[in-house]
Amino acid sequence: MELLDRYVEAIKKYLPWERQDDIVAELKANLESQLEDKEAELGRPLTKDEAGEWVKQLGPPIHMAARYQPQRSLIGPALFPFYRYVLQLACTWALVIWSIVTVVLVFVRPNPVALEPLTAVLQAPGVLFTTAAWVTLIFAIIEFASGRYPECFKNTPLASNDWSPESLPTAESSGKKRGSFANLVAEVIFGFIFLLWLLLVPAHPYLLLGPGAAYLKASPFEPAPGLVQFYWAAVAFNVIQLGWRAESLLRGRWRAEQPIQQVALKVLGLIPSLVLVAARDHVYIALKHPELDTVRYGGTLNSINQSLYKGVLLVCAFVVLQLAWEIGKRVLNAYRKRQAAR
Amino acid sequence: MGYSMTLTENLFENLRLELRRGCLTLAVLAQLHQEYYGYTLRKALAERGLDIDESTLYPLLRRLEAQGLLESQWREEEKRNKRFYRLSADGQQIFEQLLKEWQEINASIHSML
Repeated sequence: MELLDRYVEAIKKYLPWERQDDIVAELKANLESQLEDKEAELGRPLTKDEAGEWVKQLGPPIHMAARYQPQRSLIGPALFPFYRYVLQLACTWALVIWSIVTVVLVFVRPNPVALEPLTAVLQAPGVLFTTAAWVTLIFAIIEFASGRYPECFKNTPLASNDWSPESLPTAESSGKKRGSFANLVAEVIFGFIFLLWLLLVPAHPYLLLGPGAAYLKASPFEPAPGLVQFYWAAVAFNVIQLGWRAESLLRGRWRAEQPIQQVALKVLGLIPSLVLVAARDHVYIALKHPELDTVRYGGTLNSINQSLYKGVLLVCAFVVLQLAWEIGKRVLNAYRKRQAAR
Repeated sequence: MGYSMTLTENLFENLRLELRRGCLTLAVLAQLHQEYYGYTLRKALAERGLDIDESTLYPLLRRLEAQGLLESQWREEEKRNKRFYRLSADGQQIFEQLLKEWQEINASIHSML
């Protein structure tokens, strides 16, 4: 039957060349026997439509040929859980690092373009795609190599079930991560000492600068109002933090983790940095006698203030990302707990 | 509603295929205590109530032969060259182990129903 010949010839195209003649000869013999049976049953040859219907139900040639091939996958089921885990980690870190670098570049460039942040956001999928492509390529190579040279992968976690339960991380619910009374007492004591030290610094700058305090006194520079505001914001934050911890201690709340308090403290911790960013004209250091020293020290002062501003921006960007990460993690955990409770 | 029905049907079909896959291998090994070529084996299995598509059975025979569980030889029958298959010695051993496993699973499931 011509249609059957065409069908097996079409299958042959998709078979490995070293086995295609053998497979096609066998398949053709089987299908011809089947056809003979059908025709004997009907007592006549199949019509063109009947033949077409029969060949159609055998399936497309490429599908039939694929069944003769060993099952192949770019990344097999044994490797896939590792691949997925590494892919998630790599994409997350690629995005974090890329975001930090982008924020820094946007602000550090001498003439930032207005549309630059938008362009940067549009580039994010490209970064993720490139990272995912590299991770996939590396895992595809490992999959290929582990199939080809299994003895080289015998003792790796990919092929071996040998593992130690001791290597398991501490469970979040086991209590080891919870705060202890000793920790909270230490935090309150050191918080108090730190606050005391902070309050003494303006009157006794050597507590912060050491011998450098003498140079500061003799220099033509002094802290600008922006820096002073930052100082008082930092003091206020430490007072709140100390008060909060002391209250937890008095109420005996050291046993349970307090996620809202921790996140709130981190958000409050951002305020001193934001005060610095918002400082008027980004001036942190000023001249003691501007009318006398501007000509001599004005250039140096400008470059010091510019450098400080860029540094402050960098710190702020880092703290914001860290906070976003922390909040994201807690929201995800809360969501998971809620899903598990259903 | 229609969408969820399709999902359910797909799920059933996937689970059914998964369940059948191992059983088909066992059935083919069981039937090949006697020599058959592809088409007659398919008919013999169908007569015992186990319909298998051509695109499943013929490649499966090749795979089992490549794994050393079947032996084959080309022979002329009714003026046509055909490839006949039979269980090999290794195939017999594996078949007995698989059969025991299958019987145990069957008995366990029956005891649960």
